[in-house]
Amino acid sequence: MAGTDTVTRVLFEDFAPGAVRLFYALGYSAIAVFLYGAYAQLRKYRRGAPAGIALNLLPRFESMVAILLSHRMIKRRDRSAGEAHRLIFYGFVLLFLGTATITLDYDILGPLFGVHFWHGAFYLWFSLVLDVAGVMLAGGLLYMMYRRGWLKPPKLDYARPDRAPTDPDYDRSYYRREDWAFLWTLLIIALTGYVLEALRLVWLQSRADVWDTRWWSPVGAALAQALHSAGLSDAAAGLLRWDLWWFHGLLALLFIALIPSTKVKHIVTAMGSLMFRDPQAAQRLPRERADAPHPGVQYITDFNWKQLLSLDACTKCGRCHEACPARAVGAPLSPRDVILSLREFANRTLSSAQLPAQAELDVHGKAPGQVAMETLWSCRSCMACVEVCPVAIEHVPIIVQMRRKLVEEGAMDPQLRKTLQTIHKTGNSFGESRRKRAAWTRTLGFPVKDARKEPVDVLWFVGDYASFDPRNQKVTAGFANLLHDAGVDFGILHDGESNAGNDVRRVGEEGLYEVRAEGNINTLAAATFNSIVTTDPHPYNTIRNEYPDFGGSYQIEHYTTLLLKLMRQGCVSVSGKLNLRVTFHDPCHLGRFNKGYDAPREILKLLGCELIEMGRCRANSFCCGAGGGRIWIPDPVGAEKPAQNRIREADRIDGLQVFVVSCPKDLTMFEDALKTSGLEGKFVVRELIELVREA
Amino acid sequence: MKILVAVKQVAALDEDFEIRADGKDVEPEFLLRDLNEWDDFSLEEAVRIKEASAGTPVEVIVVSVAPEEADETLRKCLAKGADRAIRVWDDAIAGSDPIAIARVLAAVAQREAPQLLFAGAQSSDHAFAATGIATAALLDWPHAAVLTQLSFTPGASTARFRRELEGGLLHEMETDLPAVLTIQLGINTPRYASLRAIKQAAAKPIELLTLRDLSVPESAVGEAGSLSRVRRMYVPEKGRAQMIEGSVEEQAKRVIEIIRAAAGGAA
Repeated sequence: MAGTDTVTRVLFEDFAPGAVRLFYALGYSAIAVFLYGAYAQLRKYRRGAPAGIALNLLPRFESMVAILLSHRMIKRRDRSAGEAHRLIFYGFVLLFLGTATITLDYDILGPLFGVHFWHGAFYLWFSLVLDVAGVMLAGGLLYMMYRRGWLKPPKLDYARPDRAPTDPDYDRSYYRREDWAFLWTLLIIALTGYVLEALRLVWLQSRADVWDTRWWSPVGAALAQALHSAGLSDAAAGLLRWDLWWFHGLLALLFIALIPSTKVKHIVTAMGSLMFRDPQAAQRLPRERADAPHPGVQYITDFNWKQLLSLDACTKCGRCHEACPARAVGAPLSPRDVILSLREFANRTLSSAQLPAQAELDVHGKAPGQVAMETLWSCRSCMACVEVCPVAIEHVPIIVQMRRKLVEEGAMDPQLRKTLQTIHKTGNSFGESRRKRAAWTRTLGFPVKDARKEPVDVLWFVGDYASFDPRNQKVTAGFANLLHDAGVDFGILHDGESNAGNDVRRVGEEGLYEVRAEGNINTLAAATFNSIVTTDPHPYNTIRNEYPDFGGSYQIEHYTTLLLKLMRQGCVSVSGKLNLRVTFHDPCHLGRFNKGYDAPREILKLLGCELIEMGRCRANSFCCGAGGGRIWIPDPVGAEKPAQNRIREADRIDGLQVFVVSCPKDLTMFEDALKTSGLEGKFVVRELIELVREA
Repeated sequence: MKILVAVKQVAALDEDFEIRADGKDVEPEFLLRDLNEWDDFSLEEAVRIKEASAGTPVEVIVVSVAPEEADETLRKCLAKGADRAIRVWDDAIAGSDPIAIARVLAAVAQREAPQLLFAGAQSSDHAFAATGIATAALLDWPHAAVLTQLSFTPGASTARFRRELEGGLLHEMETDLPAVLTIQLGINTPRYASLRAIKQAAAKPIELLTLRDLSVPESAVGEAGSLSRVRRMYVPEKGRAQMIEGSVEEQAKRVIEIIRAAAGGAA
């Protein structure tokens, strides 16, 4: 590359000193507006409660960067949008680094040390890389415009299930305008950059160092070639360049100044939200702060700073909206709209220098930005939203913390209130006597050990549904027989077991949860065992993930993994010739919550079943509708129930014989849904245990 | 002004219960205890009056004549909004009938001097429906039973209320105060006492009073002070019924067998 050592782009070429000063003045102003905006945002977040999390900045930063660079969260369930975003992201990052490089050379190293490096080969490669980056950026943006303008996925129409069209905050057209403004602004900045590049080439065509190296900026050069052949003179190009330079520069400065107050800020807030995310957000709900003035979240300032920050990270991508089972059946809840409402509320109340009176900070209700109790009670805490959110917004803890306040006020369905009282009084949700908890063992031909009285290898935590519900008792007895025949040394807690509290906690009755958890932990402390197995994924989740916070740490597994081990060891022998066409429903608390996707599928394979997956499976499994205490709240009459929606999905599988579940609540919900959907007789709902017994 | 709410910890039967050796009650270990449902409504009514009061401060006091195990129920009342709780007990009180309990309650009412004394229309376990009205008689206060609606403004000298009579009639009445009112289910919707509130109420004191504190002689309570006594408690023998399964022929055959057996040796 001889003779090109000095090649560079002269900044502000032919600018009068006044013009350069004007540009710098505007640049500093933009930065000042940006800084003030950033300060106001930080002040907003700092008005939240302490988050009580370990900062561990370095590992958090590393994992955030890994997610960012791989784009693995944003690609999920919308691959094209994810790839387009990746182009925009990498294009933007390269262009940003490019601009920063020029600033380093021109404004820092040059004036301070007289060092310049932005020339010669470095400059040429730099030009090439940035030209490619611009193509990536523009390409990504154009796809996003095509998506919004022509593909129009329903998740982007911002229709709110939690408001009526007549409500003052129903209208979301502001967001749509902002989305388009964002795309157009970035695209115009990128395209005018190319045009500027081309105009400069035409303008300076007589300079060999410029013209001969033009193909290092291929897009600009091609454009210059076209303009040149169209007859654009160098002088005219110079004039045009002057006007366009200012347009491009001012638009870029405006973009920077508006970062903190527009959706552009997701660049920063999404990184913050990802960095401070809780990998166990929904699996292990937060305890009440000891110094909390009232239970749960009543005021916007009861959210912690991390939650307030994550509200601002939402890009309205609609993945949670699409995944939510409540939204899918027309309940007045969209996780996205809860987040957006709270964000609008926080922006309105926490953005000025003075905090308004406390009464104005109440987030419960039906006024703009507030969240209605009907919305909060619609949540099944199935974790579909948390799991899919590309920017680590943790909707479920937000909703449960708000419910804690409703529970304290008694603002809940009368049947739920009654169930909570029953659980308090009797230790189970069926209102049965403690003495009857182990009544199902009477049908067995052998006694089941009491782990409180004699040591056992495996302690089986049976759970309410499996103990008391007559249909589930048959499955429970089946599992006992399997364990017995396999020679497993197992026992139960008999009348010492009580409701594990998983759903009580997700309802928001934290005090009752503590009583139940502590009670079970004390009972478990008096028993001798090596590990715990559960047939119910709900107790499995809370014992595994939440009891440790209350001093109970155990080795625990769901029955599917234990059964698989026993089958592989030959302790449970099956013919392997079931020859059934089946589908498998992942229970939320086994699948999404605890990643137990594979063991049930392996078992089905060993049984010789042909497994046909439903469209929504594994991490995207569709909740049966029973979670979060909804099994104790009547569903609206006439409306479709999530379980019916799911059964209809299964019905689309040709020749389906068995809908397999591995959760007692699922068995209840889906057998009911099969009947009420009028599909009875087409296929049956079975517990995996029943199929193993059959084989 | 004060509202005194008489509450009772009632017992419900657990699965497979057994009768006490003396045959007069159920073995205590088979009883599940809770606040009497009617009292839940009368407490709620009192707390609502307190919360709605504009100027006059209202104090809601719950009182129970019961041994220590009733403290749990009183704490629940405190969690639901009662300001104070009083428990009266003395070993001599054991075995009291409703009238004897009313003597103790009347003494508490004289000591506290409330404007209103609420009691549940009845208790769910013994269902005498007598305690409240007997207390009114002992105090010589006006009284009304089975209220389904009440309007009262703290500071006023009268209260208005409605009662449901047989045949779909409503009775609207007004009474001078102080008065004893017994409350029917459904007059309101009792609130939920969260476990957090119940735990917080555990820190509040429960006043303990004895017969001596109330100047009630031992002879006025217990079996000595009661004119009625329990003779025995028992489960009546169940009538025998049996479903006859099978085809019509089989069913007919079985019926004939039963008739023959019942006719005895005659056949």
